[in-house]
Amino acid sequence: MKTKRITIITIIIVIFGLINVYSSSHVWALYKYNDSLFFIKRQFLFACVGLIAMYVTSRIDYHIYLKYYKQIIIVCFILLGAVLIPGVGVVRGGSRSWFNLGIFALQPSELFKIAIIIYAAQYIDKHYKQMKKLSCALKLLAVVGAGFGLIMLQPDFGSGVVMVCAVIVMVIISPLPFGYFIGMGLLGILGIVGMVISAPYRLERILSYLDPWKDPLGSGFQMIQALYAIGPGGLLGVGFNNSIQKHFYLPEPQTDFIFAIVAEEYGFIGGVALIGLYFWLFKTILDVSKHVNDMFGSLLMVGIVSMIGIQTILNLGVVVGLFPVTGVTLPLMSYGGTSLMVTMISMGIVINISKNAHSVV
Amino acid sequence: MGLLIIAIVLRLGYSQFIQYEELSLKATESWQRSFPLEASRGKIYDSQGVVLVDNLTTSSVIVVPSQIKDKENTAQQLAAILECDYDYMLQKVNKHVSVQRLQPEGRQISDEKAYKIDKLKLPGVYLVQDTLRYYPHKNYLAQTLGFVGIDNQGLVGLELKYDTYLTGENGSINYYMNAKSQNLNLYPADYVYPTTGMSIELTIDTRVQDVVERELNNAYDTYNPDSILALAMNPKTGAILAMCSKPDFDPNDYQNADSEIYNRNLPMWKSYEPGSTFKIITFSSALNEGLFDMDKDTYYDKGYEIVGGARIKSWKKGGHGLQTFREVLQNSSNPGFVEIGRRLGKDNLYNYVKAFGLTEKTGIDLPGESSGIMFAYENFNEVEQATVAFGQGISITPLQLVRAVAACVNGGYLYKPYIVNKIYNSYTNEIIVETEPELIRQVITEETSAQVRDALESVVTDGGGKNAYIEGYRIGGKTGTAQRAINGTYAGNGYILSFIGVAPIDDPEIILYIAMDNPKNTIQYGGTTVAPIARKILVDVLPALGIKKVTEQREKAWVWTDVKTFTVQNYVGLSKDQVKSEEYGFEFLGEGNIVVDQLPRVGEKIAEGEKVKIQLGEQ
Repeated sequence: MKTKRITIITIIIVIFGLINVYSSSHVWALYKYNDSLFFIKRQFLFACVGLIAMYVTSRIDYHIYLKYYKQIIIVCFILLGAVLIPGVGVVRGGSRSWFNLGIFALQPSELFKIAIIIYAAQYIDKHYKQMKKLSCALKLLAVVGAGFGLIMLQPDFGSGVVMVCAVIVMVIISPLPFGYFIGMGLLGILGIVGMVISAPYRLERILSYLDPWKDPLGSGFQMIQALYAIGPGGLLGVGFNNSIQKHFYLPEPQTDFIFAIVAEEYGFIGGVALIGLYFWLFKTILDVSKHVNDMFGSLLMVGIVSMIGIQTILNLGVVVGLFPVTGVTLPLMSYGGTSLMVTMISMGIVINISKNAHSVV
Repeated sequence: MGLLIIAIVLRLGYSQFIQYEELSLKATESWQRSFPLEASRGKIYDSQGVVLVDNLTTSSVIVVPSQIKDKENTAQQLAAILECDYDYMLQKVNKHVSVQRLQPEGRQISDEKAYKIDKLKLPGVYLVQDTLRYYPHKNYLAQTLGFVGIDNQGLVGLELKYDTYLTGENGSINYYMNAKSQNLNLYPADYVYPTTGMSIELTIDTRVQDVVERELNNAYDTYNPDSILALAMNPKTGAILAMCSKPDFDPNDYQNADSEIYNRNLPMWKSYEPGSTFKIITFSSALNEGLFDMDKDTYYDKGYEIVGGARIKSWKKGGHGLQTFREVLQNSSNPGFVEIGRRLGKDNLYNYVKAFGLTEKTGIDLPGESSGIMFAYENFNEVEQATVAFGQGISITPLQLVRAVAACVNGGYLYKPYIVNKIYNSYTNEIIVETEPELIRQVITEETSAQVRDALESVVTDGGGKNAYIEGYRIGGKTGTAQRAINGTYAGNGYILSFIGVAPIDDPEIILYIAMDNPKNTIQYGGTTVAPIARKILVDVLPALGIKKVTEQREKAWVWTDVKTFTVQNYVGLSKDQVKSEEYGFEFLGEGNIVVDQLPRVGEKIAEGEKVKIQLGEQ
């Protein structure tokens, strides 16, 4: 019952995502590539492949990841390292985050996110009793930290934060003493401060979030353009394809700011309905995770839902102006092949675990 | 997680409900490219509904630089048609603005240029409707009406004074465009229609102004004076009926006009010694104080008066001899007015000058009024009193004089002059401002005023104003010949010749003042040169204003320059051989033996030497 619900909600969000990728991208697509279907064609393909991948992973017993976690994490580390090499990795929007595979650009940090969750799930599962010891927790954090470091070298602040937060949630539900988290929180804050100092544009983003009108053509630009989409949407929105902001006002509306176009075209009603769908999806997954038979499965499920949930909240928070611009996409909706496919694969894993959960199902 | 989601929903609702208006407005501003639609100014009419200031619909050129692909070609074509520099135009079409107005070369362009530009169909080049101020009567009333600048802003005259009322509210066509300034056909353009400014109705009466303009133009051409001015006022209200200054200019082409011409509305700007016209003020003051009976008391003009050791001469050598005070005014005897000044005394004279409003601006609703110059009270001694009494040593504007004389003849009431009758909404005709005559004070009594009217009429019938006498209309008036002061001392040559006339003198409807500065090739005497101009004006104006002729009026004393006239008898119905006269001859028309008609008709006047036309017929 709940497995079916998870599947259906996921597919509904993906379809709604396709509609919105088309609506928000075709103006830019025509301008940049002289093909208004440029983005939607690709996204449709990714969705189809993603759907197949989701189906496949939902049929693969998740215990297989317990077996191959080492290979998975090593491959992902290699890819994370390789993408940093100029000539191998491709720079887009200031970050060297992509491998150009012709028709398709692979984003290794997206792969790494699921890999580190698998890794963390098996690690906590294996060292459940020793997790009370700081040294044991630190080992895990060292691996996570290494990945985070490599991602920050691209740099991809958003993915890094999402990944770290997801692992932290997993650690929290493991029996690590609470005091550690205070220390970790402090470390995290120190880390963020350090990153802000090392790259001043992040400070600008944070400042522009505090008052986008201070620099409306510079750091506040995206924020203001998002508000110009959301505000006029009002209660009911301007209707499908009637957004004005997508006409070059909002930069790349099909990626990070796709929710702004949703709010413009479908208004408060549409926005809240979508948020509700996400919430329902996450709530359902968390409910199921309590009934999973083994700790690895449960942790993996919590890790995946944390990753997707945190990224969703972070993205929505940025678009509505609650958080500073961090540069994360909206899972299952935003244009981006790797992200969509990895998220759908993750959902496949979730579905598979869900199928194996007892009782309530 | 739940809390964060609630926060996101609340923030979304805040933007979409509470900030909805504000964000929608700002967003719409960023989406729309606004093309200005210039509002027409309100029109200006005379009191009879004649349009004095109008608007023409024209085109202006606007470019949207981001829509212009071929900048060089566009700049070249536009520069050629608009007759401006190519580099300058290239700079304009390259500007980083969403909408660029081509100003001034592209404002209010001719139809021909607009057609050429329209035909080129250049991308990013637009023609929008504009409005051009138009003065259909050209130089007519020019200084008073003023003119507007390129943005239709009032610069001079009424256009300046009433700019806030006349100015309309500009509209715009707001096209929805994408961030690359290309038209978005998703939404229709918003039209904000321009609102025409308020219309103004003046007290100016074209029936008077037409005649004044015509006669002043004639006089200007004939006498080639440095300047000539005229002012006509309704003495019962202070409403200005006509106002004229020459040399003048064409407000449609103010760029080529001299600022000394357009900034000087002479009837209220020019301040000078009024000369003998001022004697009306002195005379009225003394009458009001009961200092003499104008027909019983006399003054002997021996040709001069000694004042403070200075000799003040009469204009007539040897003086006018024994005169009544009425005759003192008729003859414009300076020694006589020295005597009247003496009788008035320092305080009275000073106070009457003040009470007649001659020491302050009149407060007329036009820009650029002068206040005049009068001695300070402590410097107002014997010599000053004597000279001021006959109109020297005081400098006033024609407007000050005219309203003071109006008070002398209208029963004693000093009004604030005004030129705007009403201001009204151009669409609904709803009246926004309506001027009521504003009484400042009563200066002299009704009885005194009646005597002044009587005295002024006799100046025209028996005194220096005979050249203004009109058969059938009772006119009062006074001439003036004043020396010109330049930089505080009298100019060696030239006079300001003037005449002030009131008609009909028994019930004044119009007071007309004319002054001509330094006319050439003529007798430098107001009564000879200016009074006839005033006469010509009044002859046409009085019937036009619907003022009825009278059959009985004070006869004009005969002077040698006058043509002798005779009253024509009736001949209609008589036979041909009964038509005889000792005084005039006849011209017979037609066949027959019976007179069927005649011209002039019975009772009318005929000049000496002219013939009465007699139409003959059978029965």
